Amino acid sequence: MIRVHDLWKAFGEKEVLRGVTLDIPEGTTFVVLGASGSGKTVLLKHVIGLLKPDQGTVHVDGVEISSLSGRALTAARQVFGMVFQGAALFDSMTVFENVAFPLKEKERRIAADDLRARVVESLRVVDLGEDVLESWPSQLSGGMRKRVALARALVANPKVVLYDEPTTGLDPITTDSVDSMINQAKERRRVTSMVISHDIASAFRVADRLAVLYDGRIAAQGTPEEVRRSDNLYVQRFLSLWFEKQ
Amino acid sequence: MHVVGVGRIRAVFEDFGAQVLFAGETLAWALRPPFRPELLLHQAAAIGVGSTFIVAVTGLFAGMVLALQGNYAMRQFGAEGYVGGFVAISLVRELGPVFTALMVTGRSGSAITTELGTMRVTEQIDAMESMAVSPIQYLVVPRVLAATLMMPLLAVVFNATGYLGGYLIGTYVSLIPPGPFLDHTRSMVDVHDMTHGLTKALLFGTVVSLIATYRGYSASGGARGVGEATTRAVVWSSVAILVVDYLLTFIAIG
Repeated sequence: MIRVHDLWKAFGEKEVLRGVTLDIPEGTTFVVLGASGSGKTVLLKHVIGLLKPDQGTVHVDGVEISSLSGRALTAARQVFGMVFQGAALFDSMTVFENVAFPLKEKERRIAADDLRARVVESLRVVDLGEDVLESWPSQLSGGMRKRVALARALVANPKVVLYDEPTTGLDPITTDSVDSMINQAKERRRVTSMVISHDIASAFRVADRLAVLYDGRIAAQGTPEEVRRSDNLYVQRFLSLWFEKQ
Repeated sequence: MHVVGVGRIRAVFEDFGAQVLFAGETLAWALRPPFRPELLLHQAAAIGVGSTFIVAVTGLFAGMVLALQGNYAMRQFGAEGYVGGFVAISLVRELGPVFTALMVTGRSGSAITTELGTMRVTEQIDAMESMAVSPIQYLVVPRVLAATLMMPLLAVVFNATGYLGGYLIGTYVSLIPPGPFLDHTRSMVDVHDMTHGLTKALLFGTVVSLIATYRGYSASGGARGVGEATTRAVVWSSVAILVVDYLLTFIAIG
């Protein structure tokens, strides 16, 4: 579904990605783990075409996203839903308007009743009721904002959902519910998910496949078990910090 | 020292180039469907209706000052009767469009930059792009169109209250007889003065809103970056208004 091949990106002198290659099969949840500043978010922004690579290619659903621009790129993005690190809800719109936005833009002739029903259904997937519909993003807690962001990402039935640090800054209980939301999205809607995270616990709960990004390169890649047994020193150290605590 | 200077000049040109490309992109997206008249109306209300009061008040005082100054200068030649024409011509050709544009820059231009800048640094613009919606088309086009359409209308408001202020001060304070005041207005001002002034206002609307949206759209670096972007938007808009004003006046009557 998503193929990233030999991706390089530098900002000025700083090389952030140095030859990243990934293959994400359809219907799986793929987690990219890495410390802060390892280039995770930059990788994610290449997948959705918000950044252009210096070298290498990104294919999504058979389309080479990395070579598109303008209207063609905008059209190609219809397969995506994305959950941003800070939720990135539109703060001039209510919860209803936020969740309805991608649907209204994708299906411009959708009837008002239909629109409302699908927004409510999408909010139900993330355990939010109709009472939040008229709330403003500024009135919601961090965890609720993340859920609304996920509802917004899922509402237009995307084939691919991208998550940028979905559990960062959340308490353990909310983290757990975000993890189950990611799993539910996969099971109920059969979406392909790419999750960028430094939360090892959460990564092992949701991942079908994992990659560890270090210094702009993939240090290990495979099923969670394969990555856990990796003999790469950095991967061992990165994972041991968490597994020792268990 | 020398190298630093060259670098800065280069940065200014690069910035200007990026602004021109942004304007081109805005034009391209303005011509493509889907069109969103509801967003245009919303922005027209925010920029146009929202600025009416402040533009009317500034216009009133500008006209009052013009009448006082005009009377002071023309009395020396015994030409007080021409004050009405002087006030009207100054307003319609020059002060109306320029002052209106400066007021809209301060009120709406800064608000546009802050809003788009905040959306940029909180990833709302990225989020919109990720939903296959062009932020240029959704956010920038309605603001630029609304400002372009509203600026001439606001200039008309400025001219109207300005002339009213001039008339009140000219006839009641400076005691110029209303007959010659109105008569000379009619004989001195014609439709070309109006089109000249309104064309200016139209272009000021485009220029100011393009600068404000570009600065917000390209903001980076958190709250501080948004603040810097807003300052730049107001400063460059004000400079641009006067430069464009000179160029248009030169082309028209040079």
